[in-house]
Amino acid sequence: MSSMTKRSIPSDKLVALGACMTRVANDRDKSAFAELFDHYAPQIRAYSLAREPGSDLVADELVQEVMTRVWLKASSYNSSLANLNTWIFTLARNCRIDYLRRNSRYATEIDPTDMFNEMADEGPDPFQLAQQSRAEESIREGLKQLPREQSEILTKVYLEGKSHQQASDELKLPLGTVKSRVRLALKKLEVLVVR
Amino acid sequence: MSKSITHPFEELLAAYSAGSLPLSQALCISAHLEHCESCAQKLARLNRVGSELMQQLKPASASDELKNRLLDSLDSLTADDLPEQRPLSTDSSIPRCLHQFIDRGYDDLPWKRVSSDIQSVELCRDSNGAKVELLKIKPGGSATTHTHLGDEYTVILEGSFSDEAGVYREGDFMVRGTEDQHTPVATQDRECICLAVTEGPVQFTGLFSRMLNPLIRRNYA
Ligand SMILES: [Zn+2]
Repeated sequence: MSSMTKRSIPSDKLVALGACMTRVANDRDKSAFAELFDHYAPQIRAYSLAREPGSDLVADELVQEVMTRVWLKASSYNSSLANLNTWIFTLARNCRIDYLRRNSRYATEIDPTDMFNEMADEGPDPFQLAQQSRAEESIREGLKQLPREQSEILTKVYLEGKSHQQASDELKLPLGTVKSRVRLALKKLEVLVVR
Repeated sequence: MSKSITHPFEELLAAYSAGSLPLSQALCISAHLEHCESCAQKLARLNRVGSELMQQLKPASASDELKNRLLDSLDSLTADDLPEQRPLSTDSSIPRCLHQFIDRGYDDLPWKRVSSDIQSVELCRDSNGAKVELLKIKPGGSATTHTHLGDEYTVILEGSFSDEAGVYREGDFMVRGTEDQHTPVATQDRECICLAVTEGPVQFTGLFSRMLNPLIRRNYA
């Protein structure tokens, strides 16, 4: 309970990375960009490899796409609105969606560019978004305490990019069970409470 | 007691946040999010879940070669190297995600007659075969002519309609399964335009179309 009311203190690391973002945005500082690369590139590669194990080329391509966006969009990134880690995640997710669409066996004309917000200053009310950053710590703590069967399903959906149906096939569970486990996990993490 | 549900279920929103939802369904979520502050807030937190999960992965180190290649490319990068996102518009009921299919307005689309009450225009197909279309229901008109073989996702873009479960307004989102025998009716004051995504072929329930149905189904098999 108390963790929800006290203001979470961003880690020193995140503060340092945020400062790098500012230097990239204002001064086009390449050494600051290199620091961002050192921190995020291994994370982005791990994210890509979670979906396609062994595909190092795909992983490198995703890093290139995401970090290119970081360089070009740095000036529009607003640290008071969006957590840097979350911004990088949404960029990685969007680039992955785009990559999968371009390389899909079954083509579709649907262009995802306008479907997923890249900037944090649109969509939710900025004031409420700032309040939400307090919940960040509780999400991290909550993830640690999830029963294995629930964290497993979140991993499948978020990191391996599996649809509910695919997760149900792989885990040999009814579709309804997959959905209810996602719901239970999110309930435990308190991400669905609108304050 | 039946109650209308006008927001996507949590697990659907989570799949959208994870990027693991078929793009046709994601179109519906995206259109709904432009209208719905509470789902937009939930999404912001769901994205944070994704971010935390990503940070928990064991980092996979990147080569110096990749780093140097990227650093060398920075000076030559321009905004043209990015797919440009359209700004969110407030003076149009056309959601941003649908502008790729709709140049000017709903009126200029090649609407086709479905029934005396309904016109439709197909926007595209998803890679899984799902059909993305707009439906236009005349004021007071009934949208009851079809059920479907798969789930149907609907977002109201203009106007409103009601069925046994309640009233649906602009921005409202609903999923209906195959067993739903819903009988939505557009309100009297104006026509209603919806975005509809159907996973399977539409199944007509009229007497004549009931006879045709096995054929329709076979064509999709
Ligand atoms: Zn909503």
